Amino acid sequence: MMSKKNNDNRKPPLLSRREALKIIGATGATAVIAQAVTAGPLSSGAIEGLKRETHHASSDHEWHMVIDLAECIGCQYCIWACQATNDVPEDNMRWNIGFDERTESGTDFFMTRPCLHCQEAPCTKVCPVGATWVREDGIVAMDYDRCIGCRYCEVACPYDVRRFNWGTIETENKYQPTWGVPEVERRERGVAEKCTFCVHRIDRGLAQGLTPGIDPQATPACVNICPVNARIFGDIKDPESPVSKYLAEHETFRLREDFGTEPKVHYVRPEREEV
Amino acid sequence: MAAVTVPKKEKKGGIRPFHVWIASLAIMLVIGGWGIYQTLWNGLQVTNLTDQVPWGLWITHDLSAIALGAGAFTFSAVVYLFRIKRFAPIARMAVFVGFLGYTSAMLALAMDIGRPDRFWHPLVYWNVHSVLWEITLCVILYSTVLVIEVLPILFDSRLFDNRPRWRAFGHKLHKLTPVMAVLGMALSMLHQSSLGATYGVLSGRAIWYKPSMPVMFILSAVAGGVSATLLATMITSKLTHRELIDKFLRRDIARLAAFTLLAYMYLKLWDWAATSYYSQAPGTADALTRLQATTPYTQSFWWIEIFLCGLVPAVILLNREMRRKEWPLMGALFLVVFGVVINRWNVTLSGLVVPPQWSPGVLGRTIAVAYIPSWVEIAVSVGVLGYAFLAFTLGAKYLPLFQHGHDAAAAD
Repeated sequence: MMSKKNNDNRKPPLLSRREALKIIGATGATAVIAQAVTAGPLSSGAIEGLKRETHHASSDHEWHMVIDLAECIGCQYCIWACQATNDVPEDNMRWNIGFDERTESGTDFFMTRPCLHCQEAPCTKVCPVGATWVREDGIVAMDYDRCIGCRYCEVACPYDVRRFNWGTIETENKYQPTWGVPEVERRERGVAEKCTFCVHRIDRGLAQGLTPGIDPQATPACVNICPVNARIFGDIKDPESPVSKYLAEHETFRLREDFGTEPKVHYVRPEREEV
Repeated sequence: MAAVTVPKKEKKGGIRPFHVWIASLAIMLVIGGWGIYQTLWNGLQVTNLTDQVPWGLWITHDLSAIALGAGAFTFSAVVYLFRIKRFAPIARMAVFVGFLGYTSAMLALAMDIGRPDRFWHPLVYWNVHSVLWEITLCVILYSTVLVIEVLPILFDSRLFDNRPRWRAFGHKLHKLTPVMAVLGMALSMLHQSSLGATYGVLSGRAIWYKPSMPVMFILSAVAGGVSATLLATMITSKLTHRELIDKFLRRDIARLAAFTLLAYMYLKLWDWAATSYYSQAPGTADALTRLQATTPYTQSFWWIEIFLCGLVPAVILLNREMRRKEWPLMGALFLVVFGVVINRWNVTLSGLVVPPQWSPGVLGRTIAVAYIPSWVEIAVSVGVLGYAFLAFTLGAKYLPLFQHGHDAAAAD
């Protein structure tokens, strides 16, 4: 509608074009800034979205584990059962690692460490695509289909928990079937993985009315196989669960609490009480 | 590296240094092509990276390339935002160097992620809590800004002499430059520092965990980016036998680099003093002791980063006599650039090779992991460098990177 007027004079259209370009630019910039700003308020929603629904997990449960280093005899069954059940054929990719250790006072013990399922898990905070997150029931879960393989989670985890699929792993699993049968698919090349607390057993077990930590079908493989019951698992929100009782009866500690990671794996000191 | 010669001096026939240079770049690209093929075909098992040291040479390459591209946002802001017009003649070169830095980083990054086919995931699946997500978005947006800033230079080149429409489009794009400068500065201030925060926010890694990380990253990036831009300009000037910027501008840019470098070193001094000299935070002290005992990173920090690439170039850049001579000046600028690369390597590796001690026993204390890049990693990096050098050579030869008056006029 301004075209007639613009034809009369050369300057106004030039100016208006510049103006227009400026407006386009400013709008673009505003849009970008607006998006960045709304990302803040949206952040809670975005993070909420990450806590994707799982069939039976709810805030009614919170899964914890106790590892009694005084009971552990260092048989390594928990390591092998994990490798068989979760199909981890490579020993250098173990989710549940173990090694000989010694306390400052000279007591030898066997140290094992699954994923600690930190409530404030550094790995979940840094993932650029939200491929790993803390579920409502406290389990730190992984979405292999979303992971881009940047390995920031490996860098962020202070406990050396995370493993990366550097190649396609076609090795035969020497721990099967002696120590268990594979219950989950082997992961693809290029994605990160880690101990899941055998989440597939927990979710399926709850659906069948079983109690994780008590019923073996609903309990992590490493806990079931332990010949001396050095690993105790269960729902910390249930005061009658094995893990709640064990925590009440024993003095426990968690690994490097100073990191502020709030792990859900608790340890009993290897020195037996001399009372 | 006597590359771009002036047409007048050309001899007909025969092998000229330019041919040798282009042939070397071609060899670098072939080596890179082999590395990329190996990586994509076999996966990252061809690297020497491990679950304990999952980041290495390529991350250093990314971080360095992005840092050395910081001249683009610095000079764009100086010229188009703060309207300090005497810096205008170098703005195009800065943008061009920035463009090469960011594209190099994205090339190296595409190789570094386990699933390059999912490079678009951060755009769709947001984790606003992750600094790496913020960096990814910023780098993608800022690369778009750089493309918008580089296209007018391309359309102004001889290649588009017969395409007036493209050229006119370029001029229209160029009018967006002030807006792009604001946007570019905002985006750069975010991600250049967030790259430091990538390490600085990790509470489990004592050597990294400190709020100075993001600030040190952006300051060193500005010092390195400004130096890289001036170095690139001087190299182009040598090769084309033309005076591209006058000695006053050269002096000002050298001093800008030097003062930023000094500001960075001041922060670095207090960072060291506060985190290790005057204090004894258990985690940090333990990690630094192990670092010193098992790796060369403490030595390379003091001798290479601080002395060779910090104090030496700062003195040269601020000393009038030395700064006026071309070779000492170029040497100093190169040292700053080299220092940024060494710093990014040292920061990345020092945090990774002494992992936190989480075992409640005493035997685990000896753990320290080594990392030396594999041939495939080196090959890919050589290829990415080859790309950057080739693009720079072509840009220096064909692009109107220095058009006096043009940018000064556009800055009005």
